[in-house]
Amino acid sequence: MFTNKISKLFFLFTLLSVSLFAYPQISQDVKDKKIYPMGEKIYNAKCKGADLTQFKTYDTLFSSLQKDKPCGDLNRKHTVALSLYLWDVKFKNAKTYKKLTVSKDAKCQVCGMFLHGHPNWVSRINYPKGETYNFDGMKCMFKFYFNNKEGIKDILVQDYYTLQTINARKAYFVVGSDVYGPMGYELVPFKDKKSATIFLLEHNGKKIYSFDEVTEHMVRNLDR
Amino acid sequence: MSLLIALLASTLFISNAMKDEYNKIISTYPDIVITNQKALRDSTIDENEVNKLLAIEGVSSAVPRVWGNYYFLNADKKFLILGKDEFETYPNPLLNENLDIKNHSMLISLGVKKILDDNYYHNYFNFIESNGSIKKMQIQSLLNTKESLKNPLVIIMNKDDAQEIFQYSKNEVTDLAVTVVNRSEVAFVATKIRILFPSAKVSIKKDLRVFYENVYNLRSGFFLTVFIITFFTFFIIIYDKVSGLNSEQRYEIGILKALGWRVGDVLSAKLYEGLIVSLFSYILGISMAFIYVYLLNAPYLKDIFLNNYDLIGDFKIVFSVDYNTLSLLFLLSVPIYIAATIIPSWRVATLEADEVMR
Repeated sequence: MFTNKISKLFFLFTLLSVSLFAYPQISQDVKDKKIYPMGEKIYNAKCKGADLTQFKTYDTLFSSLQKDKPCGDLNRKHTVALSLYLWDVKFKNAKTYKKLTVSKDAKCQVCGMFLHGHPNWVSRINYPKGETYNFDGMKCMFKFYFNNKEGIKDILVQDYYTLQTINARKAYFVVGSDVYGPMGYELVPFKDKKSATIFLLEHNGKKIYSFDEVTEHMVRNLDR
Repeated sequence: MSLLIALLASTLFISNAMKDEYNKIISTYPDIVITNQKALRDSTIDENEVNKLLAIEGVSSAVPRVWGNYYFLNADKKFLILGKDEFETYPNPLLNENLDIKNHSMLISLGVKKILDDNYYHNYFNFIESNGSIKKMQIQSLLNTKESLKNPLVIIMNKDDAQEIFQYSKNEVTDLAVTVVNRSEVAFVATKIRILFPSAKVSIKKDLRVFYENVYNLRSGFFLTVFIITFFTFFIIIYDKVSGLNSEQRYEIGILKALGWRVGDVLSAKLYEGLIVSLFSYILGISMAFIYVYLLNAPYLKDIFLNNYDLIGDFKIVFSVDYNTLSLLFLLSVPIYIAATIIPSWRVATLEADEVMR
């Protein structure tokens, strides 16, 4: 009985001490939308000149931020935000694409429509030598792509919910929804399957396709 | 003629300026604001509810806001206090510009500074909390703003100081501001939010713009009155011209005909006369309106439009040339006036000279 109590206490103690610095359990949405932007702001404002790359684990990074204060005095909430930002975003250095902006007279390569009236639907194909073509929605982009598959460097589209520029080849497209693009029926692009599924359920979409599953026949069908 | 055009032009210029002004104000508002309500009265909300909002697809950011009014008894004035967390990003650019506020310090606008100076508070101010205790706040500096503020009595301070002044608990905030980046999803997201927070008031920016437009647009009250008056006067002038020339003018035309002028010549002379008069009065009227509205800031006329709803405070009218309005005024005045001068002259000129002179 006595040893039982001690072992329970010991177990609780180790659990607590580990959770003091452990990587916090926060949902990905909250991280993307609240924590990382806050962390980025803190980093840009207060971590000038600090060398933070020598930390091998999250815990050492966090405890150093708290104790040695390389980025100044921060309260707990800010410290957590900064350490999560550094650990998940800054150190990973994932590829992010710049926002797809077009000039006032830019036109779709396939249908000729002016793009600046529908900035949320702009998509782009880049070639390694620097040529770029802009398109008014996914349909036009796919039509161009099926006729010119060789030598393309990137294909960029904008995720519907966040309007971030994403790699089309890793995107998911929803067909048959009640959301129309500037050219009518459209394939709506998403950066992950989760948001594509939610969109499909809420906007009465018919099916989700990955980039490779989209066929020319499917795209032509959308022109009815 | 010119006065009439000036009046009409001024009202149109002012209304355009106001449209620009409230569009600018609205652009600083968040797409959706969630205010908790108890007994249908505005109440406070827990800031951790923000996490529920962030889970909604389409919401690109959601921030808790702490703001409110403080009544300063000695000056009988209300201050607008905006609290901010140093590293949050707010939809209102005013909050994002002013960084690095020290603890227990605040940034104040010019209007506030003047009031505090009048009451002998030069370096600090004492806020009186609801339980009677005093919170001393140092004045750090003046607010750094680029443009004139709608409400000139603004104070910005750290979120926890504001929470203390309003006697909010640590996680209690005034409302939640949601940004939805894709405009076509705003209505959908608002519906989802209403389901999540059934007792809260969910206000959408688009509804606010519609409200402003209804108050200030051309079809409503004040503008309509001014328009009716000016149009009415204008058409009296026209009617007077169209209903026939007086005997002196008929005599004039009769002489010209006797001298050998053909109908066409008389008409073209009348045309030039009408053209010169209307063009001159148009240009004169427009320039008067420009000077009155843009240089002098439209002293009396502006008050008619502003004071009733107290939504837009006194503002400076920015110079802008609106071709639509200018061409509208031109088409309304010049051709009609010309037509009004030519038609009766044509009628008279086609009669024989001797008939006219009788």
